Amino acid sequence: MKIMKLLKYNKIAVLALVSITLFSCGSDDLPGESQLDFTQPEKTALDNWINGVYLDPYNINVQYKWNQNTVDNSRYLFPPEVDKVKPALEIVQTIWLKSYAAIGGPDFVKKIAPREIVLVGGVNLNSVGTRTLGLAEGGQRVTLFETDYIDKSDRANVSEFIHTIQHEYIHILNQNKPFDEKTWKTLTPGGYTADWYNYEIPESNELGFITSYARSNINEDFAETASMILIYSKDEYADFLAGIQSPFALQALKAKEAIVVKYFKEAFNMDFYALRDEAEKNTTSVIN
Amino acid sequence: MKMKQLYKYLFAAVLILQLIACNDNTDAEKLFNETPTTRLNNQKTELSEALLSSPQGWKAVYFTDNTVLGGYTHLFRFAADGTVVMASDFDSDTDAHKSEYAIQVGSTVSLTFTTKNRIHLLSDSNNYPIPALRAKGYLGDFQFLYYGQENGEIIFRTNRNNQELRFVKATAEDWADLSKNLVMEQNVIGGEERPLFRLLETNDGTTTHKFDFSFTPATRFANSNSIESGYSVSYDMGVGYTPTGIIVSPAVEVAGQKLSNFTYNDADGSFTATGTGGISAVIKYTTKPLVLTDDYKFLLPGKPLSWFGFFVDDYTIDSPANSPLLYAELEKVNAMLPAGQSIASIQIYANHSIGTFIYYTFVGRSALFHYVTAEEDADGKKVILKHQSWNGNTTVATPAFLASIDKYFMDTEGLYVKAESFRLYYSDPVYTFTSASSPFRMTTWKLQ
Repeated sequence: MKIMKLLKYNKIAVLALVSITLFSCGSDDLPGESQLDFTQPEKTALDNWINGVYLDPYNINVQYKWNQNTVDNSRYLFPPEVDKVKPALEIVQTIWLKSYAAIGGPDFVKKIAPREIVLVGGVNLNSVGTRTLGLAEGGQRVTLFETDYIDKSDRANVSEFIHTIQHEYIHILNQNKPFDEKTWKTLTPGGYTADWYNYEIPESNELGFITSYARSNINEDFAETASMILIYSKDEYADFLAGIQSPFALQALKAKEAIVVKYFKEAFNMDFYALRDEAEKNTTSVIN
Repeated sequence: MKMKQLYKYLFAAVLILQLIACNDNTDAEKLFNETPTTRLNNQKTELSEALLSSPQGWKAVYFTDNTVLGGYTHLFRFAADGTVVMASDFDSDTDAHKSEYAIQVGSTVSLTFTTKNRIHLLSDSNNYPIPALRAKGYLGDFQFLYYGQENGEIIFRTNRNNQELRFVKATAEDWADLSKNLVMEQNVIGGEERPLFRLLETNDGTTTHKFDFSFTPATRFANSNSIESGYSVSYDMGVGYTPTGIIVSPAVEVAGQKLSNFTYNDADGSFTATGTGGISAVIKYTTKPLVLTDDYKFLLPGKPLSWFGFFVDDYTIDSPANSPLLYAELEKVNAMLPAGQSIASIQIYANHSIGTFIYYTFVGRSALFHYVTAEEDADGKKVILKHQSWNGNTTVATPAFLASIDKYFMDTEGLYVKAESFRLYYSDPVYTFTSASSPFRMTTWKLQ
């Protein structure tokens, strides 16, 4: 019994000490203002335009000034020419944002969108000689390279640039809702290869891939298939399919297309073909 | 009882904790009077004020990596509104351009050129001077970490490669004369009329040492190796251009003195850096190869058959050893030939069963044989070719369209012949023929 009693007192004593400890170091001095300088640089007309078109309506931050934390420091890259920023963003706004808003509803991109678009001026050349055109990271950030080379008067040039954002956005969509990877895996299992860049595109087409890059893995295959169909017009895509010689390849391409269409319908209730037509219409309106 | 003891100790332990927990005496560790934040802010202000303090802005000769590349001069004039006006001698556009800069706080305070300008040309993955730098551009950076000031200079280290970069105060002349750097570039490359051989000569006050010297314009980099046997010193250096000469990095070290500023002398095309006490380094031309070889002996009578060939439509045309004068002479030949005809090859056969001759072949016309005799200049280690006949006809004159180029082979001073260490795609050995009295050099394969 004695032991029990002692234990009881001790418990109380310990509790008391602990509470003293919790209060004893309290200080009346509250932290003041941060000493760090958070003054924002003066906004230029371009900054204000970006805020009006991207930040306010979509909550997307656009970064065109250099910040080493958002780029790969081991790569030799540089910020875009300031004059090229607005044309690039206009293309992205018209062909990507507007098309998705028209078909997926005005709030679609607001809900599932990269929170940041980073623009890089130059080519992101890889040591094997390939160019990385874009990156999508964690569903949050899209980096677009080669902004300095944008030429709004050249349809092929605009298509390549928009291909990048369409491709990266498909990744972002996939990072939100996965596609039917199980079925996809069974379509062209033998065609995936790490040295996809050693193959000509027509050669890859005949194996059931829409581009050579699609052969790197199934995620890239899905993003390439969806984004290429989006940048083709209906007729161009029909011509592309008509040119495929191998019946196996044709069947695989069509099966992949069907999965893409199903994905957009089931995951986001969107008509993929309507999206393609809208994108084509908006592409034509951008080119001057 | 055991339990009781345990609680006693616990009690004591907590008491002790109580007694020391609130001790905030950190005097012993106080190395600075200010908090880290204040110090960062002060550094930021200090750098910002320094950048704005020089009326004509700042000059930096940026050696991105002085083991492979030379220096690129940049001029900066910073403004308080976050803009900077910049000029560079990276290419022919030496005009000033405006962009933005920021003083950023990360792990330390840094100066970053946040929007595109001339300095970013050094950091373009897709624009690289040599294959080894593929995807790395010119290894440049445009974020510079602030390391303080010294003698009125601002000291930075580059963010990516940790190279020291110093900003020195620029003058009005620096801005006005920047384009002269590119005039100087041509002097470093060397004109057509200059001799073909170049050397670096160091003088430590008593003895001189000689080094061969070769400059690669694409990388602004020079290699210089000792030509003396038993003295294996080499100076490899990046070259930056100035209106009056060159700056090299690393410096040429002679007897403990570091020589990096060389002054150009237009009279002989030399660049001289002078130290104290008779110490100097000179990059200069010479009409004679630095190392003479016995390779000319292939052409002498009594030797087995030798066959050397230069071909216009093959790798020999791209040889770095060909001199500009060779190309100029080839053009002269073609200009004088009727339309549809051009020179195809120049081949030298020595000790062939039909004689020793220069064999000129053409597109659209038949070949010509220039029969010669070969004489030795043993002291000069040269071979002297003397005219015998054209196609076996001793009275016919030299064809007009060949007269100009052929005279270099008939140089009365002779020809130097040298086995080169490089190959031109194929495994055949490469030999050069150099006229002793003019900057004419042709590269051949030794085919037999």
